[in-house]
This record gives sequence, structure tokens and C-alpha cells, in this order.
Amino acid sequence: MNLQRFLDPSVLAGISSLDLIAKTVVDGFISGLHRSPDFGFSQEFAEYRSYAPGDDLRHVDWNVFARTERAYLKRYRGETNCQVNVLLDISKSMQYGSRNIHKIEYARFLAASLVYLAHLQRDAAGLIVFDQEVRFFVPPSTRQGQLHRLLHGIDQAEPAEQARTDYSKPFAHLHDFLVRRGVVVLISDFWEQPKTIIDTVSPLRFRGNELVLFHVLDPEEIHPKLKHSVLLEDLESGQRMEVSPDYASHEYKTKIDAHIEEISSLAKGQGMDYFLVDTSRPLDAALREYLAIRTGRM
Amino acid sequence: MGFFSPWFLGGLLAVGLPVWLHLLKRHKTDPKPFPSLMFFEHREQSSVMHRRLDYLLLFALRMLMLILLALLFAEPYFRVKSAKELGQKIVVVAVDNSASMRASAGASGTRLDQAKSQALSFVGTIPQGQKSQVIALSSQVQALTQQVTDQGELKAAVSSVPQTDGRGSFGELSRFLRTLNESTKTPLEVHFYSDLQKTGMPPGFADLRLDPDTTIQFHAVGGDAPNWTVENVVAPRQVFDPKKVRIQATIAGYNSPAAKKNATLVLNGKTLQSKTVDIPANGRGQVEFLGLDASYGFNKCEVRIDAADALAADDHYYFSVERADPKKVLFVDDGRRPIAQTYFRAALEAAADAPFTLEVQRPESAASANLTNYAVVVLNDLATLPNGFNDSLTRYVMGGGSVFIALGPASAQLPRVPVDDDAIEATRYADRTGDRFLVVGDIDTGHPALKSVERFDDVKFYQAVHVTPTKSRVLAKLGDQTPLVLERQIGEGKVFVFTSTFDNNSNDLPRHAYWVPFVQQTVAYLGGGGAEQPVNVTTGTYVELRTGDSQSAAAEVMDPDGHRALTLEEATKARTFPLDREGFYEVKTANGRHSLMAVHTDRRESDFTVIPKETLDLWGATGGTATEGPGPNGQQGDEQRKPWNLAPYLLIGLVVVSLVESVVANKYLRPPGAVDGKHEAARRVETTV
Repeated sequence: MNLQRFLDPSVLAGISSLDLIAKTVVDGFISGLHRSPDFGFSQEFAEYRSYAPGDDLRHVDWNVFARTERAYLKRYRGETNCQVNVLLDISKSMQYGSRNIHKIEYARFLAASLVYLAHLQRDAAGLIVFDQEVRFFVPPSTRQGQLHRLLHGIDQAEPAEQARTDYSKPFAHLHDFLVRRGVVVLISDFWEQPKTIIDTVSPLRFRGNELVLFHVLDPEEIHPKLKHSVLLEDLESGQRMEVSPDYASHEYKTKIDAHIEEISSLAKGQGMDYFLVDTSRPLDAALREYLAIRTGRM
Repeated sequence: MGFFSPWFLGGLLAVGLPVWLHLLKRHKTDPKPFPSLMFFEHREQSSVMHRRLDYLLLFALRMLMLILLALLFAEPYFRVKSAKELGQKIVVVAVDNSASMRASAGASGTRLDQAKSQALSFVGTIPQGQKSQVIALSSQVQALTQQVTDQGELKAAVSSVPQTDGRGSFGELSRFLRTLNESTKTPLEVHFYSDLQKTGMPPGFADLRLDPDTTIQFHAVGGDAPNWTVENVVAPRQVFDPKKVRIQATIAGYNSPAAKKNATLVLNGKTLQSKTVDIPANGRGQVEFLGLDASYGFNKCEVRIDAADALAADDHYYFSVERADPKKVLFVDDGRRPIAQTYFRAALEAAADAPFTLEVQRPESAASANLTNYAVVVLNDLATLPNGFNDSLTRYVMGGGSVFIALGPASAQLPRVPVDDDAIEATRYADRTGDRFLVVGDIDTGHPALKSVERFDDVKFYQAVHVTPTKSRVLAKLGDQTPLVLERQIGEGKVFVFTSTFDNNSNDLPRHAYWVPFVQQTVAYLGGGGAEQPVNVTTGTYVELRTGDSQSAAAEVMDPDGHRALTLEEATKARTFPLDREGFYEVKTANGRHSLMAVHTDRRESDFTVIPKETLDLWGATGGTATEGPGPNGQQGDEQRKPWNLAPYLLIGLVVVSLVESVVANKYLRPPGAVDGKHEAARRVETTV
């Protein structure tokens, strides 16, 4: 059975249970990474190291010792834990979707998959849901039931009417919540000036956090295809404007490309990881990005 | 410009529909949500204008469609300015060249010469550039010129007006003028030069009606003058015994005093007899000549009077007489019914100067006889026909011969009627169990053979052979619908079938008075080669040269001058020929029959009585008047003038605009999600990969 087909967002949208979605995504993703299912993630073998006095004898590979009469220690990657905080933007603009799936749904799938992945690795995962305010907060923990709390919070995350994106206000509070270094994953459509975004989120990195920006955009936002002049309405402000196909395919395209490029360059300039997520693409690309970051933390 | 149905212009209110669709409904477009408009600018309002311009063509097309539709129902038309309103006219110079115009008009020559002289004088006064036409009128109108402005051509046409022997027909002149006015849509100014004979008037005054745009001026020549004429001659067409011939002539006088006239009978240019006849004032006298020593063949005869009046052309009357032996009728009888021959012969020879003699033969000898020597072949209830007899009879009929067939108990055994080829079904008997006898139920008394038989009243038929008439025409039927008399045209000849016998066994017809006329008329009808054409006719009569079945056989006509009147093509194709000159025509029809036709002018031309002025005024009043211009009659003419209807052009325009609108609408109003087939196919390929 090819579980990777479940990474398609439109397929995932047909699954009602968020934990099942997360499990499906992650299992499908892992099965795509490894041909053998024997390699558990938390028990993943990393390397052999010569025994040094003072090392715990429980980690000596006695089979190797029997064959070679040399003592080696097995090291596992899962032995190193960290904090993972997922920041989920639920502003009204995230409600947009030109296809079967809206951006907020895609973001929820992504957040759920990330916390499930962190749970498998015994990482302490937390969740902050925000728009112009912090709407929901689950502090990072590895306690029993943490995963369910996180998934429940993600599941209940819905954009409110006139919920506008305002990074300055919620992120001022986030500094108080994120007291321990770890990985901070920010999932948003970033409809804000790039400099404002980076200036707002960059202080999180000063505390030693790895900051990952998932820029969730609908394909229609990147490449709007208009056949006729249409009246567009801003989801957050309610402002309306007549737009011609010619403008959308030329000037708007230029501007949105510049916007993405500017966010990306500013983020990388601040040592952040930026990843543009197209809601028409499978989730595995985003997870692969996260794992790369997670590996760097070891 | 006007409208036939102007109330349909209310449909123009429908123009508001596209206005509502394009200008009002457009503002109710549902907005499309978008995450953020931070990259859009307000200057995109120009795009709205662009879109409006895109739809402007569609809007205009729909407006145009509705306007065209409303106009189409309203039926607009243009009333073209008439030639009368433009002051145009056509001058028609009409010259009467009928036979009466031969009459002397004193020192200036004949009436025709006088008319032509007056017409020439008038043509000289026609202004330069005025369209004019010269026509000649006798029994028909002859256009001598087109509508031209050349006075030289007009004068030459007037000078060349020929003298004819036809009868003037003023109704024909009015009909021509109506047709000319209808075709040219131009007022006519007619100048008619004629002796204005009262006898030229049509039977109904309505035939003289002129169009309102036509004015007519009468230029009378001649006038009332005394005239005597040989009005009519009664003479036998064929002469078998010259001593028994009686010729009666009627001499008439018009506007004439009582007078004595000397009448002369002329045969082939030789005077035979002369007699004096008293003619009362404006009356008629008769003279009778006994005996006509005509030679065998056709003879040119004439009755003359020494009238010494203005019109010498009507002082003689031509007629033709054929001297011939009685024609032979072949009676084919097998001897079973000898009484039939007796009855038939008695009926045939009952006439005083019988034109037919009966010759009886057995079928065996008749089969070898030369049938062309006989005018009619009679088959009397034959049970069998010798070999080849049926074929020789058929050839004989095809060549113009006629066969008279009686069917009885013997011939009922035949499968088909000889020559006629209709199937013989059964014999119908009247016996004591059913009808005691049959009577005639239906009969065509207008047929030459049955016109004096009084419907065969009281004639009892005890037996008749039932023939199914698939190719023949039924002339008489019995009460039970059994055909009694049938006729069929084969080639140039005829077959006449009597489905009962000629004796008194199967019917009692020979004992009735109808028997003699039935036999004589039938044999005369058949022996004469069909309906006899009269040989003494007036000018303008058409002679029939052929029937439909003889296309290839040649006919021939020799005119009074002895010249061939037909071209080679006409000789093989012409069906009729007009006899338009006075004199003797030698005619050979396609079926080979020769005749000498005597043609004389219509005696109504001999009466010079002029139409009363009141009648002429009434005739002229049916048209317009030259000096009054467009009066009430003129307005009526405008109303009758057919306006130029624009509906066909509007319909074509509507179809074109509808097609363009469909194309434009398909381009602009395609659903936003629709993709063309090429892109859809490419997307499917990509998905599959």
C-alpha cells in the first residue's frame, strides 16, 4: 500500500480526524524515507564510538566485543530531546483556498504532522495559535496526553471574523512563553511587509531558537489566473477592488514574487529557515524541511 | 418611408433589455474573495473601462438585433417617386390598320393613308427627347417601335404601317395600354388614329378600361358612309352531285339606301350565274344559285356584288367547295348477323346526297384489302380476326384511318377489343331473373357522334359486352355502368367501339329514330378524320395543322399568293397557323388531309357606324386627363403603385447580426472555468505522468 498518496492535501481533507491525518502523514512520510520499517525513529542508530572509561556499560555492543574483543558504544539519535513550538497563524486571510483545501486546513495538517513527528521523537512540543492576539497556547511538554492536547488545539483553530494578521502584538507575548531554546516553527501566509515580519520574529532567534518559517500560499495567490476583470474583496479588511486579468498576470505577479523573495532573503539573512509551501503540493516537502532542521539540532 | 404595421414599433421598447443586462446587471457582480489586496492598486479602474469596451460590441449587436426585429415586424417600405410625379410620360401613336381602313377617303386615298398622314403630322410636333412609341391595331396590337426619342424612327414606323384584313379590336388596344402602363410605371399619352367603328367595341365596356395614368385622344378618319357587302354564303362543303347544289348568299347594306344589286357566282374565276337582288335601306337581301358545275377536287368559289361603294374589299365573299365521289365504308361481316348489315346500310344511305357508300367484305378478304381506300372500316361482331388483320387495321388507324367496332356475343370471346386493345371482361345479359333490359344511364351528348341521339331514350339493351376502358374514353354508359360507346385516339386515327350489336337482337336501337343520326354522325365523324375544320372562315382564324401525336409528319400551307407560308421547322412543329389574309389557303395537315380554306374579312368591318361621342368620352374618362394633372385618380394610382418593401433586406440583416452576436457572445460569455479542448488534453496527460 502506498501511504504516500495520503500526503496529497486534497486527500487529507477528506479525513475528519486530525490525529489520524497526522499519523497518516508521518507514517507515509517515513515509509517514503526508509525502505525498512525496522528502523524506529527514537531508536535510530547513529554511530559507534570507542569505549572510554566512565561510559555507561549498558551501551556497549557486546556482540561486537565478542567478535573483535574491542568495546564499542552504540549511539542513538533519539537520545537528544528538544523543545518544538509550533506557531499557527489563524488570521482571516488563511481562510482562502482556490481548490479543495483552504490554507488554514493545510496549515493545520502541517502543524499536526509536526507535533506528531515531535511526539514520536520524544520532543517536547508546544502550540501557539494566534491572529492579532494569542488565541490558544499549549506549553511544550512530554507529558502523557500532550499530543492530544496539541491536536485538539490545532483542530479547534479557526479564523475568526475580521481576524487580521498582526505579528507585533502576539509575538511580544511569545517572548515570555519561549524561555527554553528549541525549534520554533511559524506557519503563516505572511501577508505583511517582509521587514515587519522579520523584525517581529527575529528576536525569537536571539534566545538560541531555531526559527523555521513555513510560508503557506495558495497557487492562485502566487499565479492568479483571471479570464475577466473581477471584483476582488480583501478577506481581512473587506476592501473591494476591480482587477483586470492583465494586471494580475503581470504587475501582481512581479510584486508577489518580489515579496516572497524578500521574505526569503531577509529570513536567511537572519539565520532563519524559510520554506514556501504551496497548498497544491504534498506535505512531505514541509516535513522534510523540518527534519533537516531537527537533524541540525542534534 | 412608411410602415405597413407601425404598431409593431412598440417592440423597440425591448431595446431596454440589453441595456438592463449590460449596464445595470453588470454592477451586481458578486465580489471574489482574495486574501489581501496589498499588491493591487486603484488605478485598475481602467480595466473596468476596458471590460466595458469589450462588451460594447455585444451590447450594440443585441440592440441592433432587437431594432431589426421590431422593424421587420413593422414592415417598413419606401414609396419611390413615380414617373408621374416626375412629369414623365410616354406618347403612344396608335394607327388602326384593320380591314375597314381600306375604305376610300376621297382624294387623300384610303382611310389608312389619311390616318398615317395625320399621325405623321403629330409625330413632327412631339418635343425632342420625348419617349414615344408607334403601334398598329387590327385584331392584335403590333408594336412597330420601342419607346424611342428619335422622330425619324417614329415617322418611318408610321409610314410603314401595313394594311391588314383583320378586324379592329379596341379592347385589345386598351389591354395593351394597361400592360404598357403597368410595366413602365409611366403615364401614357395615347393618340389613336382610326375610323372608330362601333363594331370594334368589345362586348363588355370594362374591357376598354384604361389605367388612371393613361390619357387617350381620338383622331377620327372617314366617318359614317353607305356600304354594301356580301355578308354570308351558305354552300355545301362537299359536292357529290353538281345538279343538286344550292348556294344561298346574303347581301347586306349599312347606312345605305334601298338599292338593287347584281350578285354573281364565280367558280374558279369563271362567272357562272348572275342575279339581281333588292336590298332595302339598312337591310339585307338573299339570292340563291342552283347548281354548281364544279370539277373534281377543290374549287375556288366567290359571290360578288357590283356595289361601287367606299370599301371594295367586302364586295365579294370567298368560299371553297370540294367535288368528290362518295367515300367508301368497308363493312366487315362474317355472315352471322346479316340483318345488321341491312340496318347499317339503310341508315348510312338515308341522306339525300349521301357522302358514303357501303362495301361489305368477309374478314378473310378484308385482311388482304387496301384499307387506305376506305374512309371507315366497320367490324360487325367478329369472333376471330384473320392473321395480320389486326396489325393492318392498327397501321391503318395510325395513318389516319378510323375503325367502328360493334361487339356482340361472338366478339365477347375475344380477350381484347381489336385495335383498341381494351380488355373484354364479360358479357352483360338482361334476363328475366333480373332487369328485363338496360337503358343508357350516362351519355356525352356534346360529342359530334352523339349530339342528335336524344340520350337513346327508350332504347332497350338486352346484351352488352363489358369492356374495361383503360385507354379509351367512355362516351356513353348503361345504367349498370357498363360502357356502351368508347373512343380512343391512336396516332392520327380513331377507334370507335359500340359494345352492343347493330341488329335488333341485343338491342332495339335500329328500330328507333336515333339509329340513323347515330350511324350517319358517327361515320361522318370518323370518315372526316375527326372534327371537321370549317373551310370558310374569317381573317384571324387559326387552322389546326396537327394533333399531339404527329410531331414528325410535315404540314403545308400555301398562302393566297401561292407561296409556302411555313418554314421547314414550322412545317414539322407548328400546331396551328393564323389565316390573316383574305383569299384561298391550300392546307395539308400532318395527317395528310388536304383542304382549301376560303378566308374573308370579318363582315363587322363593313359597318362604318362611328362610336358615339358620349361613348368615346366615357372610354377616355376611364383613364386620366392630360390637362388636369394628378387628381383623385392620380392619388389612387399612387396607392396602387407597389411600394418598395424593405422587409427582405431587414431579414437578411437580422440573420447576419444574429450570427455575429452568437460568435461574439461565445467569445465574451464563456464560463470562467471553461478550458478549451487542447488545454484539457494537456492537463490529462500531465496527470497521467
